[in-house]
Amino acid sequence: MPVLPTRPDDEPLDEHVNASDALADPDALVRGFERWGYIADRSLATAVYLSTKLRKPLLIEGHAGLGKTEVAKVLASILGTQLIRLQCYEGLDVSSSVYEWNYQKQLLAIKIQERTEQTIEEKERHIFSREFLLERPLLKSMLAQDASPVLLIDEIDRADEAFEAFLLELLSDYQISIPEMGTIHARHIPYVILTSNRTRELGDALKRRCLYHWIDYPSFEKEMRIVRARLPDIEEELSGQVVQFVQAVRQLDLAKPPGVAETLDFSQGVMALRSHRLDMDVISETIGCVAKSMEDAVKVKAAGMEKLLPQIP
Amino acid sequence: MRQDRIERLAVSIVEFCRFLRIHGLPGDMRRTVTALEAAKAVDVADQQSFAFALQTSLCSTMEEWVQFPRLFQEFWGESQPGPRSASDEHRGPSKNDGRSREDGSSVVLGQASENAPLSDTKGRAVYGASAQQRLKKVDFSEVPYDDLAVLEELSLRLLRRMSLRLSRRLTISNVVDRIDLRRSIRRSISRGGEPIVLAYTSKKPKKRRLVIFLDISGSMNFYSLFLVRFAYALQEHFRRVNTFLFSTDVVEISDLLRTRSLPEALRGLSQRAAGWSGGTKIGESLRQFNRFYGKKLLSRDTVLIILSDGWDTGEPELLAAEMRVARRYAERVLWLNPLLGLKDYQPITRGMAAALPYVDVFAPAHNLESLLALERHF
Repeated sequence: MPVLPTRPDDEPLDEHVNASDALADPDALVRGFERWGYIADRSLATAVYLSTKLRKPLLIEGHAGLGKTEVAKVLASILGTQLIRLQCYEGLDVSSSVYEWNYQKQLLAIKIQERTEQTIEEKERHIFSREFLLERPLLKSMLAQDASPVLLIDEIDRADEAFEAFLLELLSDYQISIPEMGTIHARHIPYVILTSNRTRELGDALKRRCLYHWIDYPSFEKEMRIVRARLPDIEEELSGQVVQFVQAVRQLDLAKPPGVAETLDFSQGVMALRSHRLDMDVISETIGCVAKSMEDAVKVKAAGMEKLLPQIP
Repeated sequence: MRQDRIERLAVSIVEFCRFLRIHGLPGDMRRTVTALEAAKAVDVADQQSFAFALQTSLCSTMEEWVQFPRLFQEFWGESQPGPRSASDEHRGPSKNDGRSREDGSSVVLGQASENAPLSDTKGRAVYGASAQQRLKKVDFSEVPYDDLAVLEELSLRLLRRMSLRLSRRLTISNVVDRIDLRRSIRRSISRGGEPIVLAYTSKKPKKRRLVIFLDISGSMNFYSLFLVRFAYALQEHFRRVNTFLFSTDVVEISDLLRTRSLPEALRGLSQRAAGWSGGTKIGESLRQFNRFYGKKLLSRDTVLIILSDGWDTGEPELLAAEMRVARRYAERVLWLNPLLGLKDYQPITRGMAAALPYVDVFAPAHNLESLLALERHF
């Protein structure tokens, strides 16, 4: 996804007033999202609103490239708070998601302490103190000092079931226990957003704890608004053609249908070629933005202009 | 007055959750409570907000999400959120669901319930090593009716033992992966910081996921019954097993096989699966499977087991294409063909020939011994 446009300078807003106002009701959130260049519909805004009000994690599912991750980023921007991101992958474990001891530093400390008169217990207490603790995203979100951060747990479906079970515990109590130090409670309960690409079914226990939102492919009108919000320089006619084309491509039976991210890439690609309208040549040059495998590219080409862009002679 | 309204709304929401349960959505206690909280947080006079609030708290998969607006409309109608009752409206469909599907499937049902008591009375008498040996080798299609019960019990026991052994074997591993710094440093403290005894970590061996794809079409009649039991026995001991039945359509039965008793599972089965003893469209079924379940289930640690005789009435090209897809996502594809037990069988049926290039292990599955021999392929 392209980088979010920063808020225009001519709109100076006091961060704190802004944050509580933006959460006043779903409509305020829609406006808040739009100010940061994210076109959200009421349904999504209601889900985010409830997640902040009920303090429940929000699970967002949807195909790739539809802006699931962006929701968390924009929410953090709206609230003027820190975004803490945990990218999940297979084999993700506690030491890379919660905390880890700084072993090199511990070894050095032990060496330095060698000649001192400290007892073993004192030494142990020293090297297992906060000074030697490396905070990973989940612990960091518990330790946030001044305001609730937004905790984004990205692609939770990629982590394995054991981690999911661990997460469950964390999300219900918001506390983490470190054997050497004791239990740490969250100072400010984070706003938690989880995303999933549905590569595997999540456990029911986790789903039960979360609010849910499904992001589908946008309608033509919504996608036009997204393109205009993200790429203000695009010509009106071209953006219409691009969106129409991508929407038609989604109807084909592709292995990886293009998401909104692809629409934006594709638009930028076409603009970079300095084309003002779509034709078959431009499409074949930029097809890699839309079709992400050889088979898909062949299918798109085989479908032909007439079917994908019927309104262009 | 106002209090009264709120209470009535709460009652309606609880009713609505019951209504959702009738239609297959979870609507459990926890979600109901969330829905009540959510309704409190939004402006319920605005029906759209109200609908979105309930949707986000009561759904948790895409399928439920897509279904929700229709169900919401059906229950709340055009009116403002107000008290409604779910229980009297939807009695019809849930009741006659079971009746409408009692075609060939009742065969399974009948045998299951008849055999359960039989195995108790007759079974014991034949339990000698030699009888077991004999039964292990007998082709499922040639089992004399009297032996059926014994064979069944024997097969369950043997298969159970096999899956138990398998899961044990997978958990033992001595391969050292890397040094566990955390434990090593801990241990070194008592030796003044000299890491003399190192601690190691090794990767936790991950159990494979099995996906069983079982043909229940007419040509498999003699075998499908036993193979369902095979699937049941495997499912008992592997946590990650998904079982699908197919003939012209695909239906998942994993949840049924997870029930405690086999007869109960089979009873549920006969109601669920249509198309027992029907025609076969392997390619089409596999396409459905790849589409709806493939991405979720097939991965680099998945063994896909196809149990079929390869008699396909569909296009062999489709079968080949779908086999290629499945092969690409799964770690290994096993095709178990009961006909392979016949002496002069050649895999030359069009379907079988089309699928064969994408199969890693092509093995017989006509008797117990052949099923037990599969152990080494997992």
